[in-house]
Amino acid sequence: MPIPNGDSDWVFEASGLKKEHDDGRVQALRGVDFRIQQGEFVAIVGPSGSGKSTLLQMLGALDHPSAGTLTYRGASLVERADLASYRAHEIGFIFQAFHLLPTFTALENVQIPMFETHRSVSEREHRAIELLKAVGLETRQHHFPAKLSGGERQRVAIARSLANGASVLLADEPTGNLDSESAALILDLIVRLRREQHFTLILVTHDLGIARQAARIIEMKDGRIVSDALNKEPT
Amino acid sequence: MTFFTFVTRGLTRRPVRTGLTIVGIAIGIAAVVGLVGISRGFETSWQTGMKSRGTDIVVSNMGRGLTPKPFSATVVERITPLPHVAETCALLVDLISVEKADMMIVSARQWGGFSWKNLKIVSGRLPNDAAERAVVLGKTAAEVLGKKVGDTLQLETEELAVVGIVDGGAVVEDGSVILSLPLLQEITGNQGKINIVDLRVTPRTTKEELTRLCAQITGLVPEARAVIAGDHIRDSQAYRMISAMSWGTSLLAVLVGVLGVMNTMLMTVFERTQEICVLLAIGWKRSRIVRMVLWESALLGFLGGVGGVLIGVVGVQLLVTTPAIRGLLEPELNPQFLVMAVAIAVVVGVVSGVYPAWRSSRLTPSHALHG
Ligand SMILES: Nc1ncnc2c1ncn2[C@@H]1O[C@H](COP(=O)(O)OP(=O)(O)O)[C@@H](O)[C@H]1O
Ligand SMILES: [Mg+2]
Repeated sequence: MPIPNGDSDWVFEASGLKKEHDDGRVQALRGVDFRIQQGEFVAIVGPSGSGKSTLLQMLGALDHPSAGTLTYRGASLVERADLASYRAHEIGFIFQAFHLLPTFTALENVQIPMFETHRSVSEREHRAIELLKAVGLETRQHHFPAKLSGGERQRVAIARSLANGASVLLADEPTGNLDSESAALILDLIVRLRREQHFTLILVTHDLGIARQAARIIEMKDGRIVSDALNKEPT
Repeated sequence: MTFFTFVTRGLTRRPVRTGLTIVGIAIGIAAVVGLVGISRGFETSWQTGMKSRGTDIVVSNMGRGLTPKPFSATVVERITPLPHVAETCALLVDLISVEKADMMIVSARQWGGFSWKNLKIVSGRLPNDAAERAVVLGKTAAEVLGKKVGDTLQLETEELAVVGIVDGGAVVEDGSVILSLPLLQEITGNQGKINIVDLRVTPRTTKEELTRLCAQITGLVPEARAVIAGDHIRDSQAYRMISAMSWGTSLLAVLVGVLGVMNTMLMTVFERTQEICVLLAIGWKRSRIVRMVLWESALLGFLGGVGGVLIGVVGVQLLVTTPAIRGLLEPELNPQFLVMAVAIAVVVGVVSGVYPAWRSSRLTPSHALHG
């Protein structure tokens, strides 16, 4: 595990993190410990049902842990009062199923997180256009999600996740719904954006080819971390 | 794109459902506009009617009926000596079926009384004396009955000559059959009976003196009550019942509207659970979600309100021109009332949105985002 220079370098610190569902009948996380440094690229792998998505949701504050501690940049995430602001400004989340809003165009979808900022209407639109350019979709601005291919939808979702300048990108099987060709392109895009914007990237995948591009691979099984190792030669 | 885009997009995604919900509210509001507008119109019509008869105080017994109960004509003799009383005019007013009109105001007035003086002759003349077997018709009544000067009018068992058409200056006056008091007393078998005394006071009588005079008359004449002209109709139990019924029916219609909006908003919230979770996951505050839902339902209410006012106004206009009602009343549809109707609809929308909004705000973002 990499050794950070000081406490503030830890983006996330988790210890004894547990998550139960249905009053304890399902134990999605059974006590997880890890630390993640600023700027890291971590892949989380493991079989289906091993708790990868659950872990990512804890990091994204989409749900509360049942037990254990989880801090973001040294402060407890569980006790944080303004979780909406955390989700809006600190992290970006992308999903396997894209989760774009179907009644809004690509350009509008990208603007949605910006309602939680002080940007004006025209600033929001300008920034959304820039973001769509960055993901190579400038010609698809006014298309509704249903008129976009899977790869294009995920590009819109990536643009949306970075709308407010997140420093952490959480990606839950972002290529899981894509054919291998689009998957490769999406992964290249994420890797390129990370190089340009230096965000911390935590990516859930069960594709080992994708995981091998990460500098660190966390492997999960039955709600536990079974291995956490640096990848000596990221591809 | 503004926040309002979310509100409108939420409604346009299911245009048929949105349309039907709006129609639902619109019908409720149209009922409010129609019923309340008519019952209030009933009140103001009688008031303007009395004003154009030149009345300050009305002495009558507004019992349970739509028209006052008859009492002895000798009551007038007890009233005239009182201070501030300038003039009196005894009337016998009834709502009866006249030829092809199901309900018509028949207004018999003491011959020579001041209530005759404000009638402007449109054609023909007034009766020559109290005994002439003749009537004059308000101009609307003439239209409704299809009569002109020189025709005869069947009133109960009597055939009377139509000698004049008059402009009474108010809808209820224009809608009346007007004749001399003894004639109607004789025709309806009400000899020596009247049911209204119109009373005019001397100039510069103050409002307090008016009130005191009313109390005095009411004390002196146990068979009737004296009321300042403007308050007269509100004194009627029948009017109060109509008024209460129209508000009650309206309330029911509005309640149906509330249920419609609530159902629609609950459905949109349920079917958009995943989208709401996405909005929460990408950082929207719960309060923004709540506002989105409330604005949506407020907009539904507003559109329904505007639609309802349009339907109500058109409906009432059509209704008062039907022969059965024509000339009986003038609907009161003043702008404040219509604005209030739209406001009621907006409140209905907001209130109906509260529960769905609360439901939407309780979602956990992870709830619908598995996979
Ligand atoms: N909301 C939930 N209710 C009940 N069980 C859940 C819920 N979410 C996840 N689980 C269960 O928790 C376990 C871990 O799920 P998940 O984190 O989605 O795994 P992965 O992403 O690794 O496939 C699974 O057994 C899953 O069925
Ligand atoms: Mg998963």
